[in-house]
Amino acid sequence: MASGFALTATHLIKDFGAKRAVDGVDIAVPQGSIYGILGPNGAGKTTTLRMLLGIIDPDSGVRELLGTTRPRSVSDRVGYLPEERGLYPGMKAREAIAFMGALRGLPWAEGRARADDMLADAGLGDAAGDKIKKLSKGMAQFVQLLGSIVHRPELIVLDEPFSGLDPVNQERLEALILAERDRGATILFSTHIMGHAERLCDRLAIIAGGKLRYEGSVAEARATMPIQAHYTPREDSPALAGLLPPEAVRDNGGYIFDVPDSGMEALLATLLECGHGVAGLSLERPSLHDVFVKLVGEETVEKMEAEAEHAA
Amino acid sequence: MTSHFRQAAVIARRDFIATVATPAFLMFLLAPLFMLIFALVGGTGARMIADSGDDAQRIVIVADADYGARIEAADARIRPTFPGAIAPPALERREPLHDAGGAGAEAEAHALFSESGIDVAAVLYDVSENPRLLVGPGADRDADYLALLADTAARDARSGVPPGEPVTEIAREPFERTSATIGGQQSLGFTALFLLFLLTLLLAGQTVSVLAEEKGNKVIEILAAAVPLEAVFLGKLIGLFGVALLFIAFWGTIALIGFSALPDSRTAMASLDPAIGFGPFMALAVIYFAMGYLLLGAVFLAVGGQANSMREIQMLSLPITFFQMGMFGLASAAAASPGSTLALFAELFPFSSPFAMVAKGASDAALWPHFAAILWQLLWVSITIALGARWFRKGVLKSGPSVFRRLGQALRGKAA
Repeated sequence: MASGFALTATHLIKDFGAKRAVDGVDIAVPQGSIYGILGPNGAGKTTTLRMLLGIIDPDSGVRELLGTTRPRSVSDRVGYLPEERGLYPGMKAREAIAFMGALRGLPWAEGRARADDMLADAGLGDAAGDKIKKLSKGMAQFVQLLGSIVHRPELIVLDEPFSGLDPVNQERLEALILAERDRGATILFSTHIMGHAERLCDRLAIIAGGKLRYEGSVAEARATMPIQAHYTPREDSPALAGLLPPEAVRDNGGYIFDVPDSGMEALLATLLECGHGVAGLSLERPSLHDVFVKLVGEETVEKMEAEAEHAA
Repeated sequence: MTSHFRQAAVIARRDFIATVATPAFLMFLLAPLFMLIFALVGGTGARMIADSGDDAQRIVIVADADYGARIEAADARIRPTFPGAIAPPALERREPLHDAGGAGAEAEAHALFSESGIDVAAVLYDVSENPRLLVGPGADRDADYLALLADTAARDARSGVPPGEPVTEIAREPFERTSATIGGQQSLGFTALFLLFLLTLLLAGQTVSVLAEEKGNKVIEILAAAVPLEAVFLGKLIGLFGVALLFIAFWGTIALIGFSALPDSRTAMASLDPAIGFGPFMALAVIYFAMGYLLLGAVFLAVGGQANSMREIQMLSLPITFFQMGMFGLASAAAASPGSTLALFAELFPFSSPFAMVAKGASDAALWPHFAAILWQLLWVSITIALGARWFRKGVLKSGPSVFRRLGQALRGKAA
């Protein structure tokens, strides 16, 4: 981990039968960061995570987890919330958390004590002695989440952690992720909901169709698209269009255009000099949504948003 | 490696507690009791019906009181040598109404068969001069007995011995057996083999459904992510083995108490003394049960792991039972002919080895083959677990490149 990365992978490939589920994905997750893998359902996110954790082996490609190429050997230092949630229905919430900790090397007694604290912190203190089958789906999911971090892992991998949670629990989860980051853990999570990625992630990877479409910070992602200017002149005249970039379109008595590479200042100076004045001017950074549309196409994004709505 | 055992222990603990702390386990534990009760009730009922029928059965002699007394005396001496269940029907005497040798006597004997109130199996008449025996259907054995009585009475009569008087005085001395009989050793070997088989048949089959359950409640995702599959398999096996041991300890204790309460238990123990010694034999039986359970359980676990539904599990249970029967047959054949090539094969073949070796312990005093066998079986337990885990990883989790695919690519590469 001298590299400063908790996790790196180069050119991961995985086929299921004739279908290529993951097609040459590269990822580098800096230590102590929150990293998102964003993509529609079936994009290969889960398969990628499973390969990174060593649950399955890739057909080709190299991965390094917490400084080793044998990810299973460091499983005690990793926490994982699988996409397919599941706990023993007959187990009490406290025991379920302690059991998951014990699998990762945490003594049972310590696990139980931490379980009580964590459940209380999450506002689920009353549920500690309840059997999993008595809890609501969202509560059970939260119990499983607590179970996957009870041993205080260095790396936390969460597969679609927000799906199935109501807005209150989603907020709780966001707070929990930030708290774990502050504790010093590295967090990697997959999601198909852009809002979470945008709010939480230091860096993200966008995967669609098994391929990596983008890797970098949210700001960098946005920077791949120019800033948009919405300019409304005080004095409009036909000559104005000649001064603006050629792709500028009229909108509501004003113009919308990409801020030129030379910056807004020079253009603004020219506009003022020519006496068009400024009745309104706004510069808008492109949203992650726009970046996503550009990277994976309108159709995929629409599909993803429909899924997100469906899940909610 | 130690962490694998630690992880396996976590899984074993969970499985053991989850299995034992349920009402269903009580049913499981007490299942043999239901069987015993039904067997007892059924057996008693059947015996009552049989007894009530048997009570009416008779063998009849048509003889005067004088000669009849001789036959009755012979009956009194010979009958006690038969155990109750196979004793001949009760003897009854009828006064002859006609002269011996005439048609009247014959008609009288025939008429006895249609008498109501008794079932006549055989009739002996014309006893003193020229005895004749009328044998009912399926009563040859009873007729033999009646003939023996008549013959004994005739001998006594000719040599002038009073009825029922013994002609020799025979002194009896009890002998306490302290060494094993060969028959006892072999039957002990076979009994142990059968018990081991029965227990593994009843208990090891449970492992089939374990992984299907984990796949069903999706916990396999948690386990597979946290723990190597080998440790998952081992933990599952040990957890269920603990349940099996609890079951055996419970019934074993009851059986032992019952056995020691029998009046002849000490003598019975002496005649069953295994060649290797009773203590070591019992220890080996426990170890071989463990080995048999782990070996067969690992196979069933691996096979069951590939199944996707309870229906498939049920389909699998038949070949699995046949596999166990096969191992039992192989080991029994080996026990019947110790020292043969077949016996050696059964002792070496990993999945029949525990059964064959326990039978060997009853009749062969050498201890070292058992140490070798236990190590050999342990090796196969780990091989089976490793192969099962690998199969699960490839077949269910679809991990790593497929061997066939690689082969196909290599072939295509060559062709191109």
